[in-house]
Amino acid sequence: MDLLYKIFLDPFVQMGAAPDLLLQTLWEGLVGGVLYALIALGFVLIFKASGVFNFAQGIMVVFAGLTLVGLFGVISGLGNVNEHVAAFAALGLTVGVMFVLAVGIERLVLRPLVNQPDIILFMATFGLTYVLIGVGELIFGGEPKVMITGELFLPRGSTDWEVFGGFVSFQHIDLAAAIIASLMVAGLAVFFSKTRIGRALRAVADSHKAALSVGISLEQIWVIVWFASGLVALVTGIMWAARSDVSFALQIIALRALPVLILGGFTSIPGAIVGGLIIGVGEKLGEFYWGPLLGGGIESWLAYFIALVFLLFRPQGLFGEKIIERV
Amino acid sequence: MSAKRRPPGEVLLKVENISLSFGGVRALSDISFEIRRHEVFSIIGPNGAGKSSMLNCINGFYHPQGGSITYKGRTRRQMRPHEVASQGIARTFQNIALFRGMSTLDNIMTGRSLKMRAGLLAQAIRFGPALKEELEHREFCERIIDFLEIESIRKVPVGRLPYGLQKRVELGRALAAEPELLLLDEPMAGMNLEEKRDMCRFILDVNDEFGTTICMIEHDMGVVMDISDRVVVLDYGRKIGEGQPEEVRSNQAVIDAYLGVQH
Amino acid sequence: MAEAATQEHAQPGTPQHALAGGGEIPPGQVAGDTFPKLLAEHVRLRGDRTAIREKAFGIWQSWTWRQVQAEVTEMAAGLAVFGLQRGDKLAIVGDNRPQLYWTFAAVQSLGGIAVPVYQDAIASEMAFVLDHADARFAVVENQEQVDKLLAIMDRLPKLERIFYSDPRGLRHYEQPFLLSLERLKEEGRAFLANHPGHVETEAAAGRGSDIAVFCYTSGTTGNPKGVMLSHDNLIRSARLSAAFDGLSDKDEILAYLPMAWVGDHYFSYGQAFVTGFVVNCPESSDTVMTDLKELGPTYFFAPPRIFETILTQVMIRMEDAGWIKRRLFNYFLNVARRAGLAILEGRPVPPADRLLYWLGELLIYGPLKNTLGFSRIRVAYTAGEAIGPDIFDFFRSLGVNLKQLYGQTESTVYICLQTNDDVKADTVGPPAPGVEIRITEAGEVIYRSPGVFVGYYKNDEATRSTKTEDGWVHTGDAGIFTKDGHLKIIDRAKDVGRLNGGSLFAPKYIENKLKFFPYISEAVAFGHGRDFVACFINIDLNAVGNWAERRNLAYASYTDLAGKPEVYELIRGNIEQVNADLAADPALAGSQVRRFLILHKELDADDGELTRTRKVRRGTIAERYAKLIDALYDGSRSVEIEARVSFEDGRTGLIRADLRIEDAKVFETMRKAG
Repeated sequence: MDLLYKIFLDPFVQMGAAPDLLLQTLWEGLVGGVLYALIALGFVLIFKASGVFNFAQGIMVVFAGLTLVGLFGVISGLGNVNEHVAAFAALGLTVGVMFVLAVGIERLVLRPLVNQPDIILFMATFGLTYVLIGVGELIFGGEPKVMITGELFLPRGSTDWEVFGGFVSFQHIDLAAAIIASLMVAGLAVFFSKTRIGRALRAVADSHKAALSVGISLEQIWVIVWFASGLVALVTGIMWAARSDVSFALQIIALRALPVLILGGFTSIPGAIVGGLIIGVGEKLGEFYWGPLLGGGIESWLAYFIALVFLLFRPQGLFGEKIIERV
Repeated sequence: MSAKRRPPGEVLLKVENISLSFGGVRALSDISFEIRRHEVFSIIGPNGAGKSSMLNCINGFYHPQGGSITYKGRTRRQMRPHEVASQGIARTFQNIALFRGMSTLDNIMTGRSLKMRAGLLAQAIRFGPALKEELEHREFCERIIDFLEIESIRKVPVGRLPYGLQKRVELGRALAAEPELLLLDEPMAGMNLEEKRDMCRFILDVNDEFGTTICMIEHDMGVVMDISDRVVVLDYGRKIGEGQPEEVRSNQAVIDAYLGVQH
Repeated sequence: MAEAATQEHAQPGTPQHALAGGGEIPPGQVAGDTFPKLLAEHVRLRGDRTAIREKAFGIWQSWTWRQVQAEVTEMAAGLAVFGLQRGDKLAIVGDNRPQLYWTFAAVQSLGGIAVPVYQDAIASEMAFVLDHADARFAVVENQEQVDKLLAIMDRLPKLERIFYSDPRGLRHYEQPFLLSLERLKEEGRAFLANHPGHVETEAAAGRGSDIAVFCYTSGTTGNPKGVMLSHDNLIRSARLSAAFDGLSDKDEILAYLPMAWVGDHYFSYGQAFVTGFVVNCPESSDTVMTDLKELGPTYFFAPPRIFETILTQVMIRMEDAGWIKRRLFNYFLNVARRAGLAILEGRPVPPADRLLYWLGELLIYGPLKNTLGFSRIRVAYTAGEAIGPDIFDFFRSLGVNLKQLYGQTESTVYICLQTNDDVKADTVGPPAPGVEIRITEAGEVIYRSPGVFVGYYKNDEATRSTKTEDGWVHTGDAGIFTKDGHLKIIDRAKDVGRLNGGSLFAPKYIENKLKFFPYISEAVAFGHGRDFVACFINIDLNAVGNWAERRNLAYASYTDLAGKPEVYELIRGNIEQVNADLAADPALAGSQVRRFLILHKELDADDGELTRTRKVRRGTIAERYAKLIDALYDGSRSVEIEARVSFEDGRTGLIRADLRIEDAKVFETMRKAG
């Protein structure tokens, strides 16, 4: 009885007793959720265009982050350069690197493997992961690095909002992350729903041969999609690393995004966004209210649990698209 | 009722000694024929004769091991499908290949991919010339919708449409590219009599109104003999006959091939 | 009917044959006694306002009154070039298109007569009408109609020229008598250059008493008859009814019913020319529902069948909706049922219900009406067949001012119109303005009005037997007046019969009651000269199919579904409800349905079993299904049948089936309460 009480009633009593804490938790959950959504978006874009689950998405986040910090170091080292100028120059160059990476992947991985079974492509992304890890360590070294937040004008500090007799604290970097991520998502949504490329991407997702027959170049779409997903990785890398460091450990966040995909479906952009938010908020709530009950350490599996519970009630996933068995 | 059509013009597509095999299996051996401008040209033959392989070679899905294809005077050995499409060749598929999640209109708009020129950014924010361009393409697609009499399904996701209408949408998407050569892979398969009659009318109208050259694979001999100017007959990857419908009908090799298949 | 005295009713306060002199014009309407003159007035008063629209290439294209007149003038001049004389007939065939509406005015500008023909008529029907009407010219929409006319050209020696509107596919047609409307207008322009003012002069010479159109009625028996309607008929009727409903140039209408039907001609041409409201032509006959939604007309007409289809679709969609939505829908539907009619008719309503209704409007009725394209409707009419009270009240309770009208081609559409504040589902309302009605000894409804037709073309005998010397017209309908002066139609006068026991048998009354059930699409009742009433049923494939699916009842085809015992059970329930209803009325209690069978095929106009307007052809059915009718009365439990059917693709074939015959419970006559 007591355990049931602790699971089913006590957390809600706590929520009601301290609404400011609840708000704080929700807010943190949302921020985490936005980042999950970003990562999931990276997966979804690539899955839609090529039917491949990109195992390398996590390492792309790290790689983008490391490149940015590394290039900043190089540019700063050139001498008398304003740190902000150097930071944005590095940012621009990193974007360029991500583009080169996209072209490289298309040329060296996707094109030679065209018409191979999807599982082969999936295995190729494993290979890609280890290549990126190797190259990253070779160039940037294995130790964690500090993200250049201040140099990119990303704010620090926090604002307290008094409410319900308590207060909710908003980290400015979180606010910035939420805003930038939302803009990014909105931008991608417009890009993929309103433009010819977007129509072409949906076309490719639906039928390769039909897309080819109307003159859509698969190669071009692949480059664009991998580039877009590289940009998403870059933004994710900056935002995530701003709260900790840039290190190879970061790549496991890719695994944190998996439940988002289970929830939202592998082909749905809205699914990735809403799924990310649900997982983010659910994870924080669970950690805070139910975590102590189970002795903590639940964040590694809680997201999967949430996704599974959700699927019990909505087997078709969030937006009704079939979850495809290709992974 | 059409009394006379455009006379056939110069050679548009010339297929010379095409051979194609998959592993050890010969799909096409040494096939040659010519398609002239404004023609309705049909490829017929029993199942497995290599008809679809032939279309796939023309449109770049397959790369034949031997022979050459000359289109509008330019000879090629290998070309990728989207490059072929940009040369003015559009096609439909035997087992409909539509973008099932998209509406009829979006499917047809996709068919205009190659005609769109505005920059990406301009498109994204629907700015000036891009908006104008989008409207022009929309208008063109509306004319196709009107032409094919599919106004009522303009906004319906094609996955929900009955088979016959999907075939029509697929034809619409091919037409959207304003092709000079239209490849139709069994446009009437699985249709009832009325749908076939409509499809015949559309094909002839396309040929007549836009002067589009048609190369078609079709099983319904009645249809083929009715609307084709010339016919080539394949069997086991070899060409066994070619000519006007009457000639082909009385060709002994052709009769044998068909009788052989149908016991 | 026991009532002996002749009843006479007229709208109080309306002078007999109002506006007979043509002098008085209701406010907001334009002057003129012919359509070309009305057109000229509109150009003078509102030349740059939209007169007509058509959806083409996905966009509503519009024409102003001035542009319309220019088109009409060019077409008229062209017709003059090709020799159209005063009194000549010109056939119009096609879907609702602006060019075809303009053709009416063009013909009438020269004093000619327009003969609209049903666009879906088969060649032989078309041949009869064109030949009977002595049409010298035809203006048709497209290749389909051209092909149809070319196929019957040898039977139409009087037809000189065919003009077509849409040139698609016609490029290589080489018949010299076949020309495009563009060509006609070109000739017209050339002619006008040399004879400016010719069309205006001709139009000015027109008189209200000139014949404007022939509307062919699809009679239930024999060949169609050409009802001659004058400009006076159409314009005076349109004036009275437009004033009655307060129609103005701010109204919008969707013109989607066949142009050959007098109703469309009257709404989309007659009333439009009198008031100046905007006529909208749908993109194609398949897009009507989408276009309706986009447009949101303020004035709307649809036969009961369409309202029925709409209601069925709404209900099916709701069954598929999520439970929250479904619960909300059902809850507010009940609110509407309780309070909606009273609110619409301005009767007192408890404040709580008023509040709930307002909430329902916000959450359910408003969005629903918007989806259907009914949000802006001020006046909607239905007619032609009796409408199911449930369907009728459904739309009214949502706040759609749906009313019934009663009339016929010979009366220029209406005889009775329901008033906004006094609408009953089972009557057709009081006599309309300017209309006098009497019920004859035999129970037949006769009337006199400004809309009374001039005569049947080349059929004096029929004219004489329908219309008396002093202008009274026999409707052929049996009806009674209720206490509050509303007319109630029970059946065709000639169809009202007697059972062997002597009790009254009004087949259509019974059939309509049956058809009010969503599962029954058609019913044919027998009983005249028999011991009891028995009937054929056609199930509604959509509704019953849906019902069966929800019960996991698999079926292969219409025939298969119709023969299922479960379906028989379902239909028997419906029939017994009707019996209970009939039992409540002593005069009709004897005509309860004792036996029935569900037909193996849908009655079809292509098989001649229904008219084009979907009325049952009793003669054909009695003849074709004699064996089945006998079986209904000889006590058999089943009957074997073999029938010829026309398939969609035009082929015909035979199908065989074993039809079950079942009994239905009948009820004692109930005493009336209170």
